[in-house]
Amino acid sequence: MSKDRGPAKKKAAAEPKPEKPVAFTELVKDWRVAILLVLVFLSVIAIFPHVENGKLTTALQFGLDLQGGSWIQMGFGAEVVGYDTTGNLDDLVLALRERLDTQVYDLGNGKLEIQKYYTREELAGIFSALNATLTSYEEGVSRNTGDTVKRILEEKINTLGTRDARVNLLTPVGSGVVRYVRVELAGVNMQTAREIVTRQGKFEIRVQTTGNETEHVLYGDVITSVGVPSKESPGKDLWGVSFTLSEEGGKAFQDGCIRYGAVNDPENHYLMMLLDNRTVYSAPLSANLAKSLQTQPTRQLYATTGEGTAGLNQARQLEIHLRAGALPVEVRVAGSGSVSAPLGEHYMWVSLVAGILAILTVGLVIYLRYREPLIVLPMMAINCSEVVILLGVARFIQQLDLASIAGLIAVLGTGIDQLVVITDEVLHEGRVPSPSLYLKRLERAVAIIVVAAGTVVMAMLPLIVMDLSTLKGFALITIVGVLIGVLVTRPAYGRIIMAILSR
Amino acid sequence: MGMEWFRYDIARYTTPRAVIIPMVLLILALISLGYTTATTGMPVNPGLDFRGGTAVTLITDQGEAEVQAFFSGYPLESVTRDLGSRQYLLKFDAMPPAENERLVQQITARYPDASIDYIDETFGRTLQGQALLALFFSFIGMAIVVFIAFRTFVPSVAVITCAFADMVVTAALMNIFGITLTLGTTAALLMLIGYSVDSDVLLTMRVLKRRGALADKLQGAFRTGIIMTTTTLAAVAAMFIVTSLGNVQVIRDISAVLLIGLVVDIYNTWITNAAMLRWYVERRGGQ
Repeated sequence: MSKDRGPAKKKAAAEPKPEKPVAFTELVKDWRVAILLVLVFLSVIAIFPHVENGKLTTALQFGLDLQGGSWIQMGFGAEVVGYDTTGNLDDLVLALRERLDTQVYDLGNGKLEIQKYYTREELAGIFSALNATLTSYEEGVSRNTGDTVKRILEEKINTLGTRDARVNLLTPVGSGVVRYVRVELAGVNMQTAREIVTRQGKFEIRVQTTGNETEHVLYGDVITSVGVPSKESPGKDLWGVSFTLSEEGGKAFQDGCIRYGAVNDPENHYLMMLLDNRTVYSAPLSANLAKSLQTQPTRQLYATTGEGTAGLNQARQLEIHLRAGALPVEVRVAGSGSVSAPLGEHYMWVSLVAGILAILTVGLVIYLRYREPLIVLPMMAINCSEVVILLGVARFIQQLDLASIAGLIAVLGTGIDQLVVITDEVLHEGRVPSPSLYLKRLERAVAIIVVAAGTVVMAMLPLIVMDLSTLKGFALITIVGVLIGVLVTRPAYGRIIMAILSR
Repeated sequence: MGMEWFRYDIARYTTPRAVIIPMVLLILALISLGYTTATTGMPVNPGLDFRGGTAVTLITDQGEAEVQAFFSGYPLESVTRDLGSRQYLLKFDAMPPAENERLVQQITARYPDASIDYIDETFGRTLQGQALLALFFSFIGMAIVVFIAFRTFVPSVAVITCAFADMVVTAALMNIFGITLTLGTTAALLMLIGYSVDSDVLLTMRVLKRRGALADKLQGAFRTGIIMTTTTLAAVAAMFIVTSLGNVQVIRDISAVLLIGLVVDIYNTWITNAAMLRWYVERRGGQ
């Protein structure tokens, strides 16, 4: 035994006093085991398995590839550029707006956002013509614009009643520029998803000047809310949609109507709503509104569509058009994917079978190695409890997709590895050690485990930061799994196996 | 106690000469990866995620010719189907967004339950850059943990060399077995960094921190280490078989890479790393 006194000896002094071997009933009172049991209990509650409509259901969130659905990732037709100029910044921005025919915003810190796609070369040429130099160029939008896009998409999806949707902005590491927006829609096929997300355009209100000529009044981005189709007044079967403009939108509306004569002569100056430059609605100002606009701006507007069912249907259509609003920048699809519900269900079953079979095979190998049910059963129980706790935690932080299930099974593999390290370390030379020696050996086993766990966590960290779509979930599950192992299940196993060995 | 599957006299095979074989394999693998990088731009043949293109999974009773004819207007690159299975996997080369949109419409009309994946070429390149960066940083992170843990040069370098060799040889074997680099298989390579270090850490800790005859410590570490790798192999093999039969490509590819990597790790740990460690301990004059 003396040859076991390695460098571990010094550290052992910091350990709690060796305890006497404990009986199984007392084992539960050990805090390591107690924590494990409590966490398993809480996890089962969190996972909440229950029967709903004759099917076993849980509170776990599943990814699109397991429940069916579509995702679309879109890049922005816009860029954030750095500039250098000897002239006045405001002049530069105004000149750029004119030359580039789009919105240009000063983001501070020597950066500008240009909301239309131009190549670096094109911009460099235009900048130098304006006595400025282009110092950096990144495709994408500012965080602010990104948030606006996200909000618009979310609202659009929500109003269409999709049951489960997420919209995420993706920013490459080390860059403040939002590069992509990713939309995930559960239970929707690819074509519908694309229609929902990309088939939307620029919404604009224009006013007729003379003949077929029209002038711009406002864009959809100043529309702050849109009502559901409603009757113009109670008792009358005339339908329409009400909508609200922002303060500046209300002002712009009033200005446009006054400047182009709609307030004085509504019948010859129709107001038109355009979606993608296509007229979707056209009507004159009502006499009342025309009159009140002469003196004050209005933010509340109501567009009538017609009578009866036809009017109602048109109102519904107009509502979607109004809600679609305008994304401030154009987007193009960079990537997309879909899994149909039946295929998702198939994947779910296969993953479940793979997981269960993996546990059973591991159990078999462990049994062949130790041939001692008193060692094998606790090992398997610990391993299963680890999976349960991991699922319990995952329920709050991560939806399970195929990649994260692979991570889960991998955690199962490393988990059992580390239990083997503990067992073999403790059972060194096949002898059952005294409690004090046991603790020293356990400490050494824990050192091996901690280093191994540290490398796994470090290897997975870049994926958490990087937003490589599905790999984030995989890395998160792996890291959380490893942490649960090191902090909860291994210590408990060390305690349990000690109780068993010292019987 | 228990079984003895492997009669491997570790002390006999961990001589400096034994390291030649793994080193030759490593060099061959590096050459192979260099060649693939020169031809494809990535060390491992890039799959859909990195190269861009469209992949369609559909289930139908139609024959292969009929399916192929339906998509004849598009840059169909390959059609694969497991023997007797109704599930087809179609791969298309990158195409302009408008054409892809048309394809999506056609597929949705004819095969409403199809699953369609599309990656734009530029987006693929962005993912490529990020994935290679992730691999690089993972490796650096692992190396830092190893150095902090052992605080001695040679043993740390031995562990890191081993992890490096595992990844490189596995990547080269992926090319040979025709497994492409996707987001999933990138994850598997990263996981391998963690896995391969597991057994190396065990070996190094046992040899450096335990007292006793070197040969005994090596043999003891081997007994524990090989059972660790075997359990992991068993779990991964189960995963591979089930997902191959069930046609779940993502997990099948991940487990295939892990299977290859774990096998490569066995010889890298118990020949390369063990020999380097033994050389270090014996040169230090200690036991």
